[in-house]
Parts: sequence; C-alpha cells; structure tokens
Amino acid sequence: MAKLAALLKHIGATQAIFLVLLLIPLLGVPSYQFYILERGLQNVLVVLSLVILLGYTGQLSLGQAGLVAVGAYTYGILCVNFGLSPWLGLIAAPLATGLVGLILGFPSFKLTGPFLVVNTIAFSEIVRILILNNEKLTGGPFGLNRIPTIFDGLKLYYFMLVVAFLAAIGTLRLSRSYIGLAFKAIREDEIAAESMGVHVRNFKLLAFIISAVLAGISGVFFANMSGYLNPDSFTFNESSTYLLMVVLGGMSNVGGGILSSFAVTSLPEALRFMVRSRMVVYSIILLLMVRYTKVLEIENFKRIIRRLWPTPPAADRDKGNV
Amino acid sequence: MGFDTVLQILIQGLNMGLIYALAALGISLIWNATGLFNFAQGDLLTMGGFVMLSMFAKWALPYPLAFVLTVVVMGLLGYLLSQGFFYPMFSQGLHPDIIIIGTIALIVLVQNGILLLWGPHPQRFSTPLGDHPVHLGQIIVMPYYLWNIAIVVVLVIVLQMFFKKSMIGIAMRAVAQRPVAAALMGVRTNQLVALTFLLATGLAAVAGILIAPIIPLTPEMGSIVALKAFAAVLIGGLGSFAGALIGGIVIGVAEVVFATLVVPTYKDVFIFLILIAFLLFRPRGIFSSEISEKV
Repeated sequence: MAKLAALLKHIGATQAIFLVLLLIPLLGVPSYQFYILERGLQNVLVVLSLVILLGYTGQLSLGQAGLVAVGAYTYGILCVNFGLSPWLGLIAAPLATGLVGLILGFPSFKLTGPFLVVNTIAFSEIVRILILNNEKLTGGPFGLNRIPTIFDGLKLYYFMLVVAFLAAIGTLRLSRSYIGLAFKAIREDEIAAESMGVHVRNFKLLAFIISAVLAGISGVFFANMSGYLNPDSFTFNESSTYLLMVVLGGMSNVGGGILSSFAVTSLPEALRFMVRSRMVVYSIILLLMVRYTKVLEIENFKRIIRRLWPTPPAADRDKGNV
Repeated sequence: MGFDTVLQILIQGLNMGLIYALAALGISLIWNATGLFNFAQGDLLTMGGFVMLSMFAKWALPYPLAFVLTVVVMGLLGYLLSQGFFYPMFSQGLHPDIIIIGTIALIVLVQNGILLLWGPHPQRFSTPLGDHPVHLGQIIVMPYYLWNIAIVVVLVIVLQMFFKKSMIGIAMRAVAQRPVAAALMGVRTNQLVALTFLLATGLAAVAGILIAPIIPLTPEMGSIVALKAFAAVLIGGLGSFAGALIGGIVIGVAEVVFATLVVPTYKDVFIFLILIAFLLFRPRGIFSSEISEKV
C-alpha cells in the first residue's frame, strides 16, 4: 500500500487518473457507459477552464455553458454551412471562443463576486437566445444536424483523452509558472498584486481567454460526440453543473476537478434506478456537498490518511523525496 | 398609435414590472441582511406559482385561502432554508463565493423538484376576476392586470408600515445598517436573517402567483425572471426599497415597449444588455445619490 502511495506521489494524481482513463476502454465498456465516459472527458475541459478562471484567478463565472455553445456552434456552422474541414473547425472554434472570452473579460475589471456572476449569466442567456432565433444559421430550436466529425468512436475518445491530458498538464504547470502565480496573486488581493507589479487587467483578460479557449475545445468535442447541436444543451443548468464540479473538486485542484467532473457526470446515471426522483436526489447530494465543503476539504482527507498510515519519520523527508 | 394603445402597453409593462419588483425586493432584503445575492429567488418564485397551482387549480381551494396558504408555506420554506442551509454557511465563515455557489446548488434542487412534482409542461391558472377582457373607456385590459396592480399596491403599503412601525421591521433595518451594533443591542442576528429569508421567499411566492396568469409556469423560467429582478435591483440601487420598486417598473415597461415596438423575440436580450450596461457604467443604480438609506 505504501509503495502504491509512493508511486502515486511520484507520477502525480492527475497523471494516474489519465492512466486509468487510458485503460478503461480496453475492458470493453458497453456503449452507453462509454458515452457517459466521453461526456465526462468533455466536461473535464470545461472544469479545467474553470479551475484556471475560478480556482486560480478567483473570477466566479456562470457563463461557461455559453462559451461551450459558442465553441460548438462555431465548429458546427463552419463545417455544415460553409463546408470547412473539421480540422480547420477545430482550430477556428477555440479561436472564436477565445475572442468572445476576451470580450467577456473586460467587465471583470470593474465587477467582482455576485456582479460578475450576473454579468456572465446574462452573457450566457444572450448567446442561447441568439442561437434560438437565428434559424438560418443555427437551425434554431430544431438544432444543427449532420455535423462532420474529426474522429469517430474509440479514436475520438483517445483524441479527446490526449487533448484533455495536455490541457490538464498545462493547467498543472501553469499553477507554478509566473502567469499562474500572478493569477493567484489577483485572487488573494488585487491591490496588493497590482502594487507588486502584476498587471491585473492583462492577467485577468488572459485568464478569461485561456478559460474560453478550453471551453471552446470542449464545445467542439461536444459537437463531435453527437453530431447534433441544440440550444437546450447549453442552459443555465449546464453552467451551474460545471461550477459545482469545480467547487466539489476543490476549486484550484486539477486532479480533484477531473475526478469530480466524472463523478458529477455519472451521478445521475448511477441513480437511474430511482427513475423519477433521481435528479432531485442528485441535486440534494450536490447541495449537501456545497453545504459541507469545509468538511470535504482535501486537508481533512489527508489528515485521515495520515492517521491510518502514519508516514515514516523524517528520514524520508530529508532525502527530499517529499 | 393612439393614446389608448400607449396606455395599454403601459399597464401591461407596469404589471410585469411590479412582479419583477417583488422578486427584486426579496433580493434586496437578503442583500441588506447578509450581503448575499440569492440567485435562487427566481426559482422560489416559480415554486410559489406551482404551489398555488396545486392549491387553487387542483385542490380548488378558494383564491384568498390558497393565496395565503401558498405565501405561508413558501415563507416557512425560506425560514427553514435560512436556518438549515444559509445561516450555518455564514457562521462557518465560508468564502462568499462558496455561499453564492450554494444558492446555485439550490436552484438546481428547486428546478428538479418542480420537475418531479409538477412535470415539465407549461401550466397556468387565472384570478377570481376571470379571463374576459374588460373595457375601461377606450382601453381594453385583461382583468388580472388590474388585480395584480391592486395586490402589489396593498402589499407595498403594508411592507412600508412593517419596516417603519413594527419592532421586527426596525430590527431588520438595524441589522442591515450596523450588524454588530444591532447584535450588541440584543437583536438575534440568526433569527432576523431567517425572518428576512421568510419575508423574501413570501414575496417571491406572491410574485409567482401573480405571474402565472400572464406567463405560463415552467420549471426553468426562474433563472430568466431572476436575471430581470437583478436588473431591477441594480437599476434601482442595491438595498433600496423604493429603488427595487422603480427598477422593476422600469424593466417591465422597457420590456413590453421593446417587444411591441421592435421585436418580441429579442426582448430578453434587450433587458440583459441594459443589465450589463448598468453593471458596467452605473453599478450603484440611478438613485444611488438620492436613496442612500438602506431598507
């Protein structure tokens, strides 16, 4: 057990999760469960985008579904209406989303906390209404059909896995880089950060752009998975689910965020035996988890683990292994 | 366009506006007492409408009885939410963002609860005055418009009295202005926060009852109504009683005017753009200088 823990510590929790994800399809997962797995993987990208925006930079946003919608629809419209190759779509959509993220970032200069949230909800609703009413371009309430895909089935899964892995490693490395430290400085105290020479506005914009690009990629994957887009997939509910995933994952914790994105995605499916009441039970669980975030903090678990398997004394630590 | 059409549009706008104002008032009250933006206010409104639907339309209780019962039930729910969910989070000293996220988790719960109990289909009920248009001189209005205006006017007068004259109302204002001093004077903060939630949820329930004849109730309508209520709060200035009322009316009239004169499909976009503009350029509302006193 201790050896396993040491190994995990060496390769890191995030990498271990991806190793598991790499192996899961080899076990022969039934197609529906496989779809849930893919959804979870697609959500991982949105969660990472929020880890950067909320966890690192401290900017609370409920507009993530709007950004995913921008990514998915840009890809869909470019590929269906303009016959662009899916690969170019894959590049163009995140760029477009990044641009939207830049615009969404400007209000954050003046707004904090609940006001920023209101602003992002309004953005997300505006995107949804625009999609709903521009029938010629987006198919409106009937949705956008027959979207060409980059890959299908298992290939798509592994492609998504690679992209998500790169994004996760990037997010991890970002945390310790100059940029990540600037983000965290802004989260802790904007005025102090500014006086230490952090250009708060530029870094806020950067956080919004990075976050939007990740959400856009997730949108492209969403379009690829179903080949069909409908404004109902990008509602306020989606945004709040993304937010809850990040919070339950521990805000700035990459590994935790990834785990909770799979957990929250599959929770309604795991509760399927409660046919009608499952969504209520699901939301009660989420509510309780937010209510008891203090209890669920990673430190508490570490304390329990430490009590169960006391670490060998200082010798290990002196060698610099920890 | 004749004068009577203008009047008709104004009555319609005033109606929507007063409903938004009630929701906005609830948001403002909670903001004053706790510094929290309760995003679930819109969904509590929807739930109030649905509870009324059960009592009035399904169980066929008389309208006044169903009305009072709905407000009481929802108010109690608000009280319990505060005591069991929100207040413990405040007293734990959690980061305010986490508590905001708590309200969002509550939205998910309320929406799914409504979906389970009342189903996904749009439903409506009317008022005792029925659904036949009335002629008032030149203008033709639906009777529930007049009904709604009457109820909100009475409610606002009662609330004003409550805040100015009653002990609890004065204590609420005290907590809003100087929480520490109020606590030192023997005001029990947790009870008052719970009472504020009770009052706010009751107001949301009234708004839900009044909106049902105009807009059919659906489980997910709450977030859009909440957003408009926020627009009302921001236009009127956070934490101000009169501001919430005026902001609500401005939003309601602007919405109806835009829908009639420009395009109805983009009326929500129009309101949200106003909201964003206010957030960016006048975050303290139009009346920030005139009305600095909190509720």
